[in-house]
Amino acid sequence: MKEQNSKNQATQTSHNGVLEVKNLTKKFGPKMVLDNISLSIEKGKTTVVIGPSGCGKTVFIKHLIVLLRPTSGEVYFNKKRIDNIEENELNKIRTHYGFLFQGGALFDSLSVSENIIFPIKQHFKITDWGQVEELVQSKLAMVGLDGFQNYFPADLSGGQRKRVALARAIALNPEIILYDEPTTGLDPIRSDIINELILKLQRELGVTTVVVTHNMASAYKVGDRIIMLHNGKIIADGNVDHIRNHPHPAVQQFIHGQVSEDDLAVLRMSGSMSQAQFLPRDFQ
Amino acid sequence: MIALIGAKTINGINNMGRYGRFLWQSMIVSFQSCLNKLSYPLIWTQMYLIGVRSVPVVMITGAFVGMTLAVQAYDQLAGMGLEEHLGVLINISVVKELGPVLAAVMLAGRVGGALTAELGTMNVTEQIDAVRSMGTDPIRYLVAPRILACLLLTPFLIIFAVLMGIIGGYFVSVIQLDINSRAYWSFSAAGVELWDISIGVVKGFFFGVAIAAISCYKGFTCKEGAQGVGQACTEAFVASFISILALDFALAVVFKSIYNTFWPIRGLV
Repeated sequence: MKEQNSKNQATQTSHNGVLEVKNLTKKFGPKMVLDNISLSIEKGKTTVVIGPSGCGKTVFIKHLIVLLRPTSGEVYFNKKRIDNIEENELNKIRTHYGFLFQGGALFDSLSVSENIIFPIKQHFKITDWGQVEELVQSKLAMVGLDGFQNYFPADLSGGQRKRVALARAIALNPEIILYDEPTTGLDPIRSDIINELILKLQRELGVTTVVVTHNMASAYKVGDRIIMLHNGKIIADGNVDHIRNHPHPAVQQFIHGQVSEDDLAVLRMSGSMSQAQFLPRDFQ
Repeated sequence: MIALIGAKTINGINNMGRYGRFLWQSMIVSFQSCLNKLSYPLIWTQMYLIGVRSVPVVMITGAFVGMTLAVQAYDQLAGMGLEEHLGVLINISVVKELGPVLAAVMLAGRVGGALTAELGTMNVTEQIDAVRSMGTDPIRYLVAPRILACLLLTPFLIIFAVLMGIIGGYFVSVIQLDINSRAYWSFSAAGVELWDISIGVVKGFFFGVAIAAISCYKGFTCKEGAQGVGQACTEAFVASFISILALDFALAVVFKSIYNTFWPIRGLV
């Protein structure tokens, strides 16, 4: 146990990480969402952040690309502090990232092809459109959707939208890809397709990957390292085996999908279902 | 109670500060976009959506303003035997005040509502965050083209509204109320100066920027969910409407001072 703790401490304070956060705290009004988090994300590895809904996973991942600014604490990208710099400078740094949003966040008014061209068009002067079309084709082929160039987001299923969003996220060949709940809302097969894509991109492009999820199957499959957030703090940090055998009750409840005794007690106290069920005629 | 008032005051000041910063950034980026040819396609698209498609509603608004003024003012002037002066009254009201203000209010509803709903939905579905995550300034990509389109086209839309107001007023006065056409136009020409027309058009620039900036800001700061977007649209319209009236008053004072400085005595018609 002592050994594990010291190993985890070493990971948290490592200075070899491509991404690093130090004493990160985020408050929304009086509500503390992230409470003094410090960790370093290793280059070329997949780090998975797990935790119950509302524990601050999305807020955390948005801080890594500074879509949100911390209340206090620091964020570093390649040893450069990025949480306190101007948006213009930050925009250049963000080209090193790819971000897959929970709902895909594709632009409704643009076709699949235009969505993928968007980041390229923003940062490069396009002179050879044939080359760009080839690039779009190759990105779509990577996510298994070649031939969907002229579709609009509204014409695609949830899984296809996420894959197009992933193709857009890798359009600028990023060093880091951040995934916010990549499998949420998808059936188990579509979820596994996304997991395989995450592994494929990590393997073929050698990118550093951070995945936020509450899907344990996904976390076990893609994660080199798993971090669990609970009430805004890191309560577990280690590889898959370390998490599986972690002694913290909240970790065990979460990974096994079990409700806590306290929550069960609240449910028992809150009256029976038969009392809550009535028909409109009961009002008459 | 005191704490509540204090909290609301601080919140109000914070909102004003955020809006001021958003407006300042938008103005700077809009100016830069004017000089950047790559922004022109975005501006053209917005000019079509905001300007060209608003022409019919703005023209209808203008026409009804002119016609209503003619019907309402005729009895008063006819009672004094001054019905041939109806043209001055209608045209100066339409050109200086009612045409620009009502056309702008119509635009606040049609264009402002659409801008807030579009940007609000983009905000709620994380599309604005997606723009930022790809290293693009959302103000440059989303706000500046809309502000420039409104800035450039609102004066033209006001000209359309005013033109239709004049035609509507003429139609009711001359054709329906049987006022002498020659007298109608000669009194109008004597009473309405180029200065009055300029005031109406210049107001359009201010109204256009106010509508676009307020609507974009409300879209960017809207709360989650369908209710959040709906509330943002309502707030955007109310804020735009009040801004139009406040700007109209401020500009009236400024233009009157300028006019009185250069032309102290204006001939009474």
